[in-house]
Formats: sequence, structure tokens, C-alpha cells
Amino acid sequence: MESEVSRREHAVEKFGVRKVVIYVILVLWALINLFPVYWMFTFSLKSNEEIFGKNLIGLPWEWRWNNYVSAWHTGNMPLYFLNSVIVSVSAIALVIIASMMATYAITRLTWKWSAHVNAFFMLGLTIPIHASIVPVYVTLKNMGLTNTYFALIFPYAAFSLAMGILICTGFMVEIPKELDEAARIDGCGAWKTFGVVILPLMKPATATISIYSFLQCWNELMFANIFNSDGKYRTLPVGVQQLSGQYTTEWGPIGAALVIATFPMLIVYIFMSKRIQESFVVGAVKG
Amino acid sequence: MKRKLLSLLMTGAMVLSLAACGGNTGSGSGSGSGSGSGASGVPANSATAGETLANVGDITLNMWCIATESDSNRKSYEKAIADMQAAYPNVTFNWEAIENEAYKTKIKAAVSANDMPDIFFTWSCAFLQDFVDAGRVWCLDDAYQNYKSELPEAMLGNSTYNGHHYGVPLTMNIVGLFANMDLLKQVGYTEIPGTYDEFIKCCDALKAAGITPFGCAGKETWCVTEYLESVIEKSVGADALNDIFLGKSTWNNADVAAAVDTFQSLVNNGYFDPNGIALGNDEVKANFMDGKYAFYMNGTWNCADFAANEAFFPKVKVAEFPVINADKAQLGQLIGGPSDTLAVAASSAHPEVAAEYCFELGKLICHYGYLDGCGLPAWTPYGDTSSVNALTQEVAKICGNATGYVLFGDTAMNADDARTYLDYVAMVYGCEVNGQEFIDGLAKDIR
Amino acid sequence: MKKKDVINYINVILFLLPGLALFIFILIAPIFKSTYYSFFDWNGMSDMTFIGLSNYVELFTSKAIGFWKALGNACLLAVLSVFIQLPISLGFALVLGRGIKGERAFLSIYFMPVLISTVVIGQLWLKIYNPDYGLLTVALQKLGFGDLCKPWLGDVRTALMCVFIPTLWQYVGYHMLLLYAGVKGVSPDIREAARIDGANESQVNRYIVIPSIKPILKVSVIFAVTGSLKSYDLIYVLTPNGGPKHSTEVPSLRLFEMLIARNRYGMGSAIAVIMIILCFAFAVLISQAFKERNIYGK
Repeated sequence: MESEVSRREHAVEKFGVRKVVIYVILVLWALINLFPVYWMFTFSLKSNEEIFGKNLIGLPWEWRWNNYVSAWHTGNMPLYFLNSVIVSVSAIALVIIASMMATYAITRLTWKWSAHVNAFFMLGLTIPIHASIVPVYVTLKNMGLTNTYFALIFPYAAFSLAMGILICTGFMVEIPKELDEAARIDGCGAWKTFGVVILPLMKPATATISIYSFLQCWNELMFANIFNSDGKYRTLPVGVQQLSGQYTTEWGPIGAALVIATFPMLIVYIFMSKRIQESFVVGAVKG
Repeated sequence: MKRKLLSLLMTGAMVLSLAACGGNTGSGSGSGSGSGSGASGVPANSATAGETLANVGDITLNMWCIATESDSNRKSYEKAIADMQAAYPNVTFNWEAIENEAYKTKIKAAVSANDMPDIFFTWSCAFLQDFVDAGRVWCLDDAYQNYKSELPEAMLGNSTYNGHHYGVPLTMNIVGLFANMDLLKQVGYTEIPGTYDEFIKCCDALKAAGITPFGCAGKETWCVTEYLESVIEKSVGADALNDIFLGKSTWNNADVAAAVDTFQSLVNNGYFDPNGIALGNDEVKANFMDGKYAFYMNGTWNCADFAANEAFFPKVKVAEFPVINADKAQLGQLIGGPSDTLAVAASSAHPEVAAEYCFELGKLICHYGYLDGCGLPAWTPYGDTSSVNALTQEVAKICGNATGYVLFGDTAMNADDARTYLDYVAMVYGCEVNGQEFIDGLAKDIR
Repeated sequence: MKKKDVINYINVILFLLPGLALFIFILIAPIFKSTYYSFFDWNGMSDMTFIGLSNYVELFTSKAIGFWKALGNACLLAVLSVFIQLPISLGFALVLGRGIKGERAFLSIYFMPVLISTVVIGQLWLKIYNPDYGLLTVALQKLGFGDLCKPWLGDVRTALMCVFIPTLWQYVGYHMLLLYAGVKGVSPDIREAARIDGANESQVNRYIVIPSIKPILKVSVIFAVTGSLKSYDLIYVLTPNGGPKHSTEVPSLRLFEMLIARNRYGMGSAIAVIMIILCFAFAVLISQAFKERNIYGK
């Protein structure tokens, strides 16, 4: 009896120790992952001298908010920011529409080649985004799309499409087929079923697709650099690059520009994280 | 005094015939023009400079360049373009600045797709040659007629292919031996040693005093070439090295092997910061300005940066690398030359106008760039140049005494060979190959 | 009946149209073009010369290109990714998925490195590895291991690992979030039932949770492997020339060198084609492997 109690106490204690260890690891890992954010922020307020060795991780000696002023006044940062938003949002919208429709055709309509077409789309997951710069460039140019928002929207959407379909499939197979049946009995065609029955149920998928596509588009540099030369359509990553020169580079303003480019995304992520994470839970399970 | 200095510089440049790297271009396949002047109806050689431009009516021209906001050339571009817009209000001029590395990708893709702007920045020699060979660049022979007196033909050598001119040079730069005089004073030198023996003695003294003589960014191989090419040139002479870079003679040259061994002995003697192999140029330059190295060999474009740092500027001096083998090489043989260039696209809707605009603009960019200390002028300088920083003036003096130039190897060679060359240079710096293996490997691998 | 079929097929086509159009124009057609280019000697600008399979032969035989080494490195990264990165991600996913105080905060923080631009991450790690004043060097010196210090990214023995560590670290959060979603999807009832039957935490994970998130594990493994084969950004920032003695060379570094630095468009295309084939083959293989397991597992 006594030994029974002590054993249980021992177990409780062991469990407590285990919990502490887990928390220590979790917190340590959190610090490691927060460090880049802290570092980026302080780096954006430093001088080259500090960045190159004099003051690596400390707080800036002098808080050079001026770096933000010069970053913001480089070229036309507010415009680049707006362009990035336009391009990303449009690409995401396009991915959502195209992948929902394609997924509907693949998972809900019955036809011979659906599995093959699905596999064909999955090919997109494996293609390195930069492997086809010149052919894509020539195609866009022939279609007269260079120096328009579409020059980036279409490629970004195309490269996110496979993932979009993968995620949508996960969500769509969860929706009971009986709903389609019921709709058909009510006299709905495929389009009406899609619009009235399926789409409303696919809302959670949009968040997941959005974050994935957003990750693809927001920091993309190579396409953005090549396909659009008109400054009117320049996106943030290209704008940030503008801050470094052939012969001299001031790193402080680059840091500031990167903060300007990254922090909105972090803030959106933090505020939306609950929703995004929940939709991941629903969506990715069957992916 | 200053004027004398400049005239010295210019005579130096005029007398020299810079090695024309495009001279041996194979086909020169139909460049856009040949005698473009006919199209405008005005015989180019009778028109005066700027006339076509002023009379053309309202048109739009586009330009791409690499003068981004933090580039030291930015201000000279802005001033030059403002002047041009004031002088030619009929020409709507749009320009985009793209970061250096990104620009290389962008301009090549644009040339592939034949989607170039009217005027574009390019590096001379091999970089431009590919575009010229593809027939995408407008020939500037006619437009040049009006600028002969202001732009010495010798300065066009690096952008001349098959005897035709395709580029407007802006500034030129050479490799300078920069020294932190505070550190040199600590071991008893008040001047940069002028002979190789004394130079080595100085390095030994520095080493003994615990000061690292050289900093060199191994992560960016072009930084290594700034040292290696100077050592080779001062061992084998400018002509021999030029012939090798331009493919006129092979790498199979025992003198080059010996020079590479000389360079490696500098590395093995511990004159170089061993950590440099993992550093980028920004980091090495910051170290140099921070007093970590006594010497830093790099392009003279750094003058503007050094001059801008008030604390550091009084400490720094620049000189020519000393002669190693006096039988073959001599002082006045330099590494460098005009490389920054503007060119006109053959696909431009108004190539003649663009060509003239290109010359006028290039002249102004060169002028303002020189005043800012971004490099030496390829064009004959004009106006009051007394505000040019002392370091750049010293470089001008060195160039004034120049007898021969060898363009940077990776600019002179075509892209594929240049990369192979850089690979071998990296191996030399990492002491993976010796001089003999270096020349054997290059003789074999360069196509 | 016939008419219905026709309508059905028209619908299928219409539904697929936006996706297929995007996909074919932007992804598939360029791949065919790249494949075509890979049979030519072409600098991307001037005339093309047909050389058959020469690019491929040179790619796999030339010592100077060192493609085998680059492939080997990419495969090593894939192995490390599957056997080190994924288990770490899975560990965090299991702990957080079980429900723990601060779950959401941890989750958000762990995902942050994925959101931060590679330029920043790269610069940060350059500062960590800097041989003069880098954090790693300073830390080792303070701990009395100063003689171990070396130019981390400049030394053949350490460069590859120094490049791989941040590459693996950055995406732990990404895989964790995927797997976490799976873990959360396991119904609490099943968990509870297993508990009542006397299973402890690790047994629940081992026999209940992990088997039920297999589909997600599959996706994660495919991403980890194809991502490793394609990896480029961070490796380029840390060692733009492929590191000392080409020790950090990976296929995409070679691809870009051929395409951009060397103007060898045909050869660059050949590398792209090989990469696409490899990625696809691995994706199929991994899917198959997971299917087999399922059959034998049951």
C-alpha cells in the first residue's frame, strides 16, 4: 500500500519533470525562431559599421530611424508595396478559383481520366520554379503580357496551382456525396451544385490555399525582376534589391526595407493564425 | 596643376591603344545597322552633335541601368539625366535601375526575347559581345563621328567588334593598391613601398607586428583576381597577359605559372587573412576600413566610398602594385580600363536618336561620375574638376603614367571561359592547384 | 444517356479549363521547350546548334561540372531532411497537437522563419558563421574551444554542414504546421479510448496518431525530398560559388551558373530537365512506398 502511493508520487514527479523538460525545449526553440525577427529589426536600425562586426546582436548604438526614411523613399516603396499586394491577392484569387473548379471536376464528376489528370497536376509540385524562365518570358511576351500585372499573376498562380488542388482535394472528399445527390434530385446541374452546395462548404480551404500561395508570391524575386521592367509594376522584393549597388551597399536601409516587406506579413499571420491553423487542421488531413 | 594632371592622363589614354577585345569576333552576324544614318535623311558626319535629338519631335526613350539608389554612380546618373531632360524636353526619357546581379539575368533574358529598352547599360568586351553577335545591338559608328573630339577612340576599344563601335564608355577603373598608412607607420613606412623587395619586407614587418598585410574576399572570386592579375601582370608584362586573356596565345606559359606560384607564396607566407576565404567583399572592405588590414587591392571605384568616410579617408593612400620581374614588366602597366558602357538596342524604334542621346548622356554621366570620384573619365574631362577627391586624383596620376592596360580577366573573356577561369583562380587562392596545374588546367578547359 | 455523357464531358472540360490553361501555358509548354533546348548548344541569344545528347553526356561525365557531386549533396540534404528535420517537426507537432498551454503561441513562433525572406535569414547566418566576430566563433572562444574555430564556410570539412543546418532549420516550422494539422485531426475520442485501455502518451502516438497521419507524412516527405533537390536560395546566399572545392554545390547552383553566368542555355536546360525528372520520380516512388506500407501494415 505504502509502496503503491510512493510509486504514484514518483510517477507524478517524473511526469512533472518531463513536462518541465518539454517546456524548456519548447521555449528554447521558440527563442531560436524569434531571434531572426529581433535581429532583422535591430539590424534595420544600425550602421554598416555595426552590422559588420562592431555590434552584431546588441541593440543599435544609435537608433537610426533614418534608415526607414531612406528605405521608404527609395524609388517608390509605397507603390511597390501596393503592387505586391495586388499581384499576390490576384494570384491567390486565381489559384482558389482554378483549383476549386479543377478539384470539383476531378473528385465529383465521373469520367475516365480523372485520376490521370490529377496526377498530371501533381507534376506541378515537383517543378523548380526557375527552370523555365526564358520560355515563360517568351510566352508572356508573345501574349503581350510583359509589363502588366498579369506577367506575374499568371506564373505565380500556375506555380501554386498544384498545391491548391492538393489542398482542395483534402477538403472536398470530406464533403458527403449525399449532398450532391440531394442537389441533383432538386434539379441542380453540375454548375449549380458547385456554386450552391460545394463552394460555401469550401470556405476553410481558402485560408490554407491563401497562406501557401502567399508564401510563394510575396518574396518571389526572379520572375518579378525579369518579366516586368516598368517601375510602375515593380514588386517589393525587386524594390528591396534596388537598395544594393554595384560598388557600395548600405545594409541598414536594406534591413529597413526588409522589415517593411516582412512585418505586415508577420502581423497578418499572427492575427490570422488561429483561422489559418484551424483550416490547416481540416484541410491538410486528407491531403 | 590639376589641368596639367588631367592632360597627362588624357595623353596617356590617347597614346595607348587599348586592347580591342572584340577584334577577333567570328561572324559579327548582321548587327542592326551598318550605315544607319541614311534612314534619318541627314548624313551623320555633317550633323552637329545633338542636332538630330533636338529636331526629332516628341518621342519616348527607355533605359535600363544598374545605378540603383545605393550605387555610388546614382547621383551622376540623376544629374546627367536631369540635364538631358532640360536640354531635350521633346524626348520623354524613362529609366529603370536594377541591382547588379539581378540585372545580368534580366538583360540576358531581354536579349533572348528581343525585348530590350532603347538604351541599356552593359559591361564591355565579352558581356556585350554576345549581344552584338546575336545582332541585337545598334552600331554606333555614324553617331560617333560627332563625338570624336571629346571621346578618344582608344577608349572605345573594349566595345569595338570587327572594327565597329557598339558602346559608349562611361568611367574607367583600375586595380589600386590601397594602404592604411596608420598601420604602415607603425612598422616605419611613410610611403607605400615602390619596389617588390621592399614591399615584401614591409609585409614581413607588418606580420611581425601582428598586423595582417592583406584582406581578400575568397567568397567572391573576382576579388582574388584583383590580386592575382596584378601579380601576373607585374611578372609577365601587360602584352603577354593581354594576349592570353584575348585568346591570342595559350595559357601554356611558364612565366604565368611562376607568377601564380609567387602569388601563392604570398598566401602561404601568411600575408593574407586566413579568414578571408569565407568572407564577401563587403565584409573585407569593412575590415579594411576598420584597420584590420594594411593593404587592400581592389578597384579604384572604392575611392568614392573611402572619401565619404571622414574618419578613414586621411589614413588611406593608393599606389600601383610594384614590379616583380623587371625584365618583362614595368611600372605603368595596369589592370583595368573602361568597362561600364551604354549601348543602343537594334530593335529600338528610333535607333539614330537613341544613339545620339546615348552619347550625350554618357558624356554627362562620365563628367558627373568623375566629379563624384566614382572612377576616371573615359571622355575628355571638362569644366572645373578641382573638387575631385584626392584619392581619385592620385589614381588619375597613376593612369597618366600608364603605358599599358589589361582589362579584368573575367570581363575580357567570354562568359563560359570567365567562369572556368574564376574556378581556377579560386583553386589557386585555396592552394588546391599550383602554378603549373593552373596553366595546364586552363589550357585544357578553356574552349 | 448519350446526351448526358456529352454534357458531363463538356462540364468536365469547362471546370478544368482555367486550371489546365494556366498549367499548360506556364508550366508544361516551357518544360517541353526546355527539353528541346537541352539538345542544343545555345547561348540564349545567337544561333542554336543541334548537338543531340552531348549536353547530357557532358553533364554526367565532365569532372569540371561535377554534377554527380552536386546531385550527391542534394540527396544528402534530402536524407537529412527526412531523417532529422521531419522527426523534429513531428516531435513538435505531437507535443503541440496534444494540447498544451501556449500551443498557439508556439505554433505561430515556430512558423516565423518560413515567412522571413531568405536574404535576411542568409545574412543572419553569415553573421553567425563569420570567422572573426561571428556568434559561433565568439561562443566557442568563450567556452574555451577557441582552437576549434575556423572559417566555417571556407573550410571543405565544415562548409556543407554549415549550409545545410540553416536550410533544414528554416523549414522545420513548415513541416510542423502540416503535421500538426494532421495530429489535430485525430479524433479525441480515439485518443481517450486508447488512454482508458492503458496506453501511455508515447504508445498513443506510436499506435494511434502516427498511423492516422500517414497521408500527411507522405506529403511532408515528398516536400522534404523535392524541396531538397530544388534547394537554392540560402545555399546561394551563403556560398555563391558553390563553396570551397565545390563542396556545397547543388544542382540548382549549377543550373544558374550555366544559365546566367556561363550563358550555356542548352546545358542549363539539360540540368533543369534532369531535376524535373528526378523530382517527379522521387514523388512517385515515395507515394508508392507509402502505399506498400499501408498494405503490409494492415
